[in-house]
Amino acid sequence: MPGADKNTDLSERIEAFLADLKRGGTGAGPLRGSAETARETTALLRRITAQARWSSAGDLMEIIRKEGRRMTAAQPSETTVGNMVRRVLKIIREEYARSRGSSEETDQQESLHKLLTSGGLSEENFRQHFPTLKANVIEAINELLTELEGTTYNIAMQALEHIHSNEVIMTIGRSRTVEDFLKDAARKRKFHVIVAECAPFCQGHKMATSLSQAEIETTVIPDAAIFAVMSRVNKVIIGTQTVLANGGLRAVNGTHTLALAAKHHSTPLIVCAPMFKLSPQVPYFPFSPSHSYEQRSVTHSLWWVRREILSKVNVYCPVFDYVPPELITLFISNIGGNAPSYIYRLMSELYHPEDHEL
Amino acid sequence: LFATVLCWSSLRKSLSNTNRSKGGKQSRSGGGRKGADDQEEEEQPLQAVLIADSFNRRFFPITKDQPRALLPLGNVAMIDYTLEFLTSTGVQETFVFCCWMSHKIKEHLLKSKWCRPTSPNTVHIITSDLYRSLGDVLRDVDAKNLVRYDFVLVYGDVVSNIDVTQALQEHKHRRKVEKNISVMTMVFKESSPGHKSRCEEDDIIVAMDTKSQRVLHYQKTQGLKKLQFPMNIFHNGSEDFEIRHDLLDCHISICSPQVAELFTDNFDYQTRNDFVRGMLVNEEILGNQIHMHVTKDGYGARVSNLLMYDSVSSDLIRRWVYPLTPEANFTDREGPPCTHSRHNVYRGPGVSLGHGSQMVENVLIGCGTSIGADCHISNSVIGSNCNIGDNVTLDCAYVWNHVTISKNVTISQSVVCDRVEIREGVRLNKQCVLAYNVLIGPNVSLPDGTVVSMHHPDEEEEEDDDEFLSDGDADASQSKEKNKQKGFNPAEVGVEGKGFVWKTSSLDDTEDEELSQCLWGLVLNPDPESDSEASEPDDPDDPVIPSPEMDDVKVFELEVLGTLQRGLEENIGCDNLVVEVNSLKYAYNITLREVMQMLTRVVLEFPFQQQQGVQLSAAQYATVLLPLIERWAPLFKNYVKKAQDHLDCLSAFEEHFLEQEKHWPAMIKVLMSMYQLEILEEELIMRWFSQGATTDKGRQLRKNQGLQKFIKWLEEAEDESSEDE
Repeated sequence: MPGADKNTDLSERIEAFLADLKRGGTGAGPLRGSAETARETTALLRRITAQARWSSAGDLMEIIRKEGRRMTAAQPSETTVGNMVRRVLKIIREEYARSRGSSEETDQQESLHKLLTSGGLSEENFRQHFPTLKANVIEAINELLTELEGTTYNIAMQALEHIHSNEVIMTIGRSRTVEDFLKDAARKRKFHVIVAECAPFCQGHKMATSLSQAEIETTVIPDAAIFAVMSRVNKVIIGTQTVLANGGLRAVNGTHTLALAAKHHSTPLIVCAPMFKLSPQVPYFPFSPSHSYEQRSVTHSLWWVRREILSKVNVYCPVFDYVPPELITLFISNIGGNAPSYIYRLMSELYHPEDHEL
Repeated sequence: LFATVLCWSSLRKSLSNTNRSKGGKQSRSGGGRKGADDQEEEEQPLQAVLIADSFNRRFFPITKDQPRALLPLGNVAMIDYTLEFLTSTGVQETFVFCCWMSHKIKEHLLKSKWCRPTSPNTVHIITSDLYRSLGDVLRDVDAKNLVRYDFVLVYGDVVSNIDVTQALQEHKHRRKVEKNISVMTMVFKESSPGHKSRCEEDDIIVAMDTKSQRVLHYQKTQGLKKLQFPMNIFHNGSEDFEIRHDLLDCHISICSPQVAELFTDNFDYQTRNDFVRGMLVNEEILGNQIHMHVTKDGYGARVSNLLMYDSVSSDLIRRWVYPLTPEANFTDREGPPCTHSRHNVYRGPGVSLGHGSQMVENVLIGCGTSIGADCHISNSVIGSNCNIGDNVTLDCAYVWNHVTISKNVTISQSVVCDRVEIREGVRLNKQCVLAYNVLIGPNVSLPDGTVVSMHHPDEEEEEDDDEFLSDGDADASQSKEKNKQKGFNPAEVGVEGKGFVWKTSSLDDTEDEELSQCLWGLVLNPDPESDSEASEPDDPDDPVIPSPEMDDVKVFELEVLGTLQRGLEENIGCDNLVVEVNSLKYAYNITLREVMQMLTRVVLEFPFQQQQGVQLSAAQYATVLLPLIERWAPLFKNYVKKAQDHLDCLSAFEEHFLEQEKHWPAMIKVLMSMYQLEILEEELIMRWFSQGATTDKGRQLRKNQGLQKFIKWLEEAEDESSEDE
């Protein structure tokens, strides 16, 4: 029974991916870095498209939506997974529209009038069967994968436009995108990087080691010294975990402090964020704790506290900060630089409004 | 054996495993089983042996109705934590061994995600009523030949997120370098003495070799103030060693397949503790070593008593065991997972909270539970489908599923099992346990440490012997009948109450006290009765302290003396004496060189031994000794062969005469006779003489006239002989 075998194979892969997401979280497990998570997710969705049983675009969207919901539930703090699911849904919509013969642009138009009249347009209309749809969708997903492969490179390409000779640049924690960005600039220019260590996990130390290996002059400072050092800094370049719909960030903790200090000294704050980090989520308050903090194996010093005391101590270890859009000067994505106020526009290009809620 | 083996589509899985290229986790430990022989080195599927039985009765009477592995911890059965731990470390095949209430465990596992065909970890369930200890299980593993490679050995109540990959690599490396010497790697976590997650009765002290991470000594402290260490750990050649008391035993061990064989060979090993001690004591004979891996990150603890249950639960809720948090839903339960909000408050779906109720901090509430008005809940876990009335205060309470609690109830640090009903105005003081189906109230206050169960304590004793053999259902029906006969005490459990009070620590009965505290694990010396099956109570004075080296030599000397005396009395031939001395040499592990020196000394002192107390003049001494030397010349010749032997013999000779200054006149006669009997060669006597002495007395000895003359004579003899040629 090759069909049954295929099915179990597929579901086994999905389960394995879910388990990895659950165990891994952000960066700790076998999946490292959101770029890799994005690629893994897209590859899995391509496999689902290829192997699952569906006859029309509506079926396929339903399957992908269902699996997408499970994947996002497995690791709510990793928004990349949800973003990739939305991208794929958008691709299916476009391919379906193209197969039907209507141009994408007409579908894209969103006037108030259209919103009011378009009530029942969505699902029933995807019932039509097109034999070429599957191949088209898979090809489009392949294109998406190629785009994902090149994101870090595309961002690093723009480094020379932003980093000039003898500048002092500050960053926080460790972001692979920023690392590549700085290294790319270092090939042509000499500049100085100050890394805030980002306690308690101190990812900044790793970042600094990696940068100094690329022969960039690097200094590590404790998080508390960010404000004091800021007056000497020409530019702040950071990475982020997610770009929210309003142009704000959900980034590693300490970023808010850094952004406020930059604002106070009127230092430009540049965020390197590939497009797949753009999420249709909006910040809501109070920030749900499971999104804003996770308890990992926190500082050993606290683990050493004695029984009687530790039972009375609550250790909180927030992992993410919310950074409001007003503090951000510029986003650099793989398709170029954008202001925070423009994010909503990018959002509507990337995702279909009906997919915002999976 | 009444064992049944359930193989979960393992055949199909193993085939499909080999045919597929695997991504992610599987690639870490490899999946191929086909052609295992050629690729044995690289691709060994990681196996695990999970023992879903504690083989003791620490959780009695709770475990009378439910096996320990299935007790809920943070609303998830304990065994699920263990399986998740194993799966996340890349274990691909797990053997679950159950004994007590095996059918329940089997049922639970069959329903869980571990037995789905998509699970990356194939679970085999093996049940038998005959297992009575860890040793029995491992002997069965050996008999059935289940493990072929290194495997992870854990109990079904271990909660951990430690990544043992590194320990596993170290273990494999050690086994590659020194073929099959290291049999086990124990995983420890660093944590300070007195830390909450350290079980006091499991407190250990370990001596280890710093460089090789080898365990030299392993002992449970059991609250002792004084500890004894065997001497051999101090002089077994390791340069650096540490004695550590800052380790928490995670009860996770990586074993080589030999471990199962060793358990078979040593049928008296019951627990891992026996095994470790046995290996360490017999290290020289069996040549097996035990190593350890100390981790700083991660969390690992065994829920061995209710106090540990309390601390592991609270660590779980405080997210120390991330990613095993309550909202992670790693068991893939149906329905939405619970939500996590500020102050570590977790709410399952469908939880209703009355007006004015407060969930202060560290609270987990299972699905479908409703809580009345004005409740105050902190540091507690509440199961699913519970009904909690108004004005209830819960602090450190562990309320399991389907529990009904009426108005005005106060519970602090207590466990309330499934389907318990607590009526109005009841107060549970610290460390109370209400076992399954109990009804309490109204308006009673249970003193500290009360244990109430539907089973009568006496019935328990009657069934002591066949506890492991009897079926759970049969127990329940029997007990129901008995309950009808015996009746409940309303003063203890309330007017409407149902249940028997087991033990109250306020009673003077010492035996009772022990058992109830045992449940919470406060007593440092565990009740020997309840534990005897699981662990031999180890006597701290027991460790075999090998007598120091000096003693052996002394004893040997005495034995040689005895042998020679007997030889003289019974007129035994020198050949037989040689055999006897040789056997003594092996018995006391004496080097050949020491035998030489001892023999010389014994023979030279022999005249004193014979005439005890009487002072011998030099002449008398010589007359007694010379025939003896003549008699035992073959004995000497047997040992004195190489040049070094001669020198050793002479140095012993010198040593003896240094002590006996009076007998210097006899010395020359003795030396002469030894020369004539060809025990000593002239060349070597000369060399000894010319080497010079280290002490003043030695120099004096060499200046002795007799000796000088003898040497001169020797020199002349040599000259003559050379002239002859």
